[in-house]
Amino acid sequence: MPDPQTIPINAKFDDDFITQLVLVLDTDTMREVATKVAHHVVGKRLPKRDADMVVRYQGRSLSPDITVAEAGITAQQNVYVGWAEKGMMP
Amino acid sequence: MARMKREEWYNIARDVDWTRSYVDEEAVFPEWLSGSGKVPREAWKNWDEPYKCAYSDYVATQREKEGSVYAVKAALQRSNIFESLDEGWKSTAKAHFGAVSLSEYLAVLAEQRMGRFGLSPAWRNMAVFGALDEIRHTQMDLYLAHEFVARDPQFDWALKAYHTNNWAIIAARALFDGMMLAPNAADIAIQLPFTLETGFTNLQFVALAANALDSGDISFANMISSTQTDEARHAQQGGPTLEILMQHDPKRAQWTIDKMFWLSARLFSILTGPGMDYYTPLEHRKQSYKEFMEEWIVAEFLRLIEDYGLKKPWYWEEFIAGLDTWHHSLHLGLWFWRRTVWWKPQAGASKAERAWLQEKYPHWEEQWGPIWDTLIQNINADNMAGTLPETLPWLCNLCHLPIGTAASPHNPKYPVRSYPLTHNGYTYHFCSRPCRQIWWEDKDMVHQKTVIERLLSGEIQPPDIDGILAWMGLTPEVMGDDAYKYRWAEEYREPVAEGGTHA
Repeated sequence: MPDPQTIPINAKFDDDFITQLVLVLDTDTMREVATKVAHHVVGKRLPKRDADMVVRYQGRSLSPDITVAEAGITAQQNVYVGWAEKGMMP
Repeated sequence: MARMKREEWYNIARDVDWTRSYVDEEAVFPEWLSGSGKVPREAWKNWDEPYKCAYSDYVATQREKEGSVYAVKAALQRSNIFESLDEGWKSTAKAHFGAVSLSEYLAVLAEQRMGRFGLSPAWRNMAVFGALDEIRHTQMDLYLAHEFVARDPQFDWALKAYHTNNWAIIAARALFDGMMLAPNAADIAIQLPFTLETGFTNLQFVALAANALDSGDISFANMISSTQTDEARHAQQGGPTLEILMQHDPKRAQWTIDKMFWLSARLFSILTGPGMDYYTPLEHRKQSYKEFMEEWIVAEFLRLIEDYGLKKPWYWEEFIAGLDTWHHSLHLGLWFWRRTVWWKPQAGASKAERAWLQEKYPHWEEQWGPIWDTLIQNINADNMAGTLPETLPWLCNLCHLPIGTAASPHNPKYPVRSYPLTHNGYTYHFCSRPCRQIWWEDKDMVHQKTVIERLLSGEIQPPDIDGILAWMGLTPEVMGDDAYKYRWAEEYREPVAEGGTHA
């Protein structure tokens, strides 16, 4: 099995003020991607919440169990993460 | 021998030219350096500067100005004014010295290009004075900053900044390379004297002079006021050039101004905005950045371009909306990534300051309040790691500022998002539609790699925050920190309840 590949994504967490570089692995699930993006924002610039997170890519909300590779997320693409109950943001 | 009166010789001397018989005109004024474009060469004979200046007049006036600046500096050098200056104001001065000192030198090169390749002798004469002006500005900035280096090493970045890969300097270099160094003489005249110097230097030199005076930094105020008197003269190279372009190629004139106005607005929103609305002590603030922009830039510039028959740039509504948001997001970014700059960002987020911000910008609390609240909670919980970054913001492929800073949170019209563009299989990211459009049209002239791209290509090692800081030239004694050592956040501490725990 090949080694996991690092994929740099341009990630935005809902209500944050910028998009930023986050490194994920192509084997990461969306649950792990959400955690990696939130690590740079939640508790730093936005308050923590006891809620699930959701990853959105190309306008679709992705299942928490699929991987980066399965979702077709490639390097330098925009990925949006937010609290699950929140409506769609761009 | 009696000297001729100026009016007897000036009109001939200012415009002396001759027909070259031993060399082609194209060899002397190559198109790629002169930039006549669709304008017939003959048309440039009508170039007429509104401000007449002979070399003898120039030297006499400049000598007087120089004497005044250095006399004030010499008098104040013996005082202890430096010690009494507010740390927030000092940060404004340090940001200015680092970003502006050597950009003045880049302007020397731009003026020299016009002085050699401008297509009218009168224009070339004016540009020679412009080059001398810009040498003077470079020297003044470096000289004034140098005095403080022994007391505060951050002032050393007046000289050092442009020789580093600091992200803010990469943004400035990208703009100034595209404005001053890469273009031909005609485009330089539209971009530098007309758009930047007529449109924007008032912002840095007039607004800042007033804030400097109020903050007690008389030397600085005197220096930049003196600079502005030169700018007001040599900026007038733009008008006659534009007049000729409007007769023969108005589309080029409109596009050149539109793109450079947008890029200048983006850069000044980080260069001047935080200084006016956050670093200047509250009691010394006269106008907000937005108010100053509306009075000095928006109204003046619109009147000016309409006088020449130009239209408002296509993005005007977005630019005006940005006066409410851009510099607040950029300031927040500067504070959060404070270790990446050569000054000490003053948070400007005390309760009184936030009340002022909310009064001047009615959506401030809604848009940035929750983020500052979280940062303040971390400061007061001694969780400083929670106020520092572990990654970089994604940077715009045109203006090199963080993506999201041409927008704001909770802003449905201009939301925080990237505007991507895939070209030749590679995805570029932009902070806004205008940045994306300008890059697409002019990428050969304006493209430079962003810090993110350099990081991902392996140019920065090790590829972590410490490696990035070292690559940017930031040493521990220089890298920024909160101007007031976070004392401003104490008033947000929750009162201590009986028994010693926070309520």
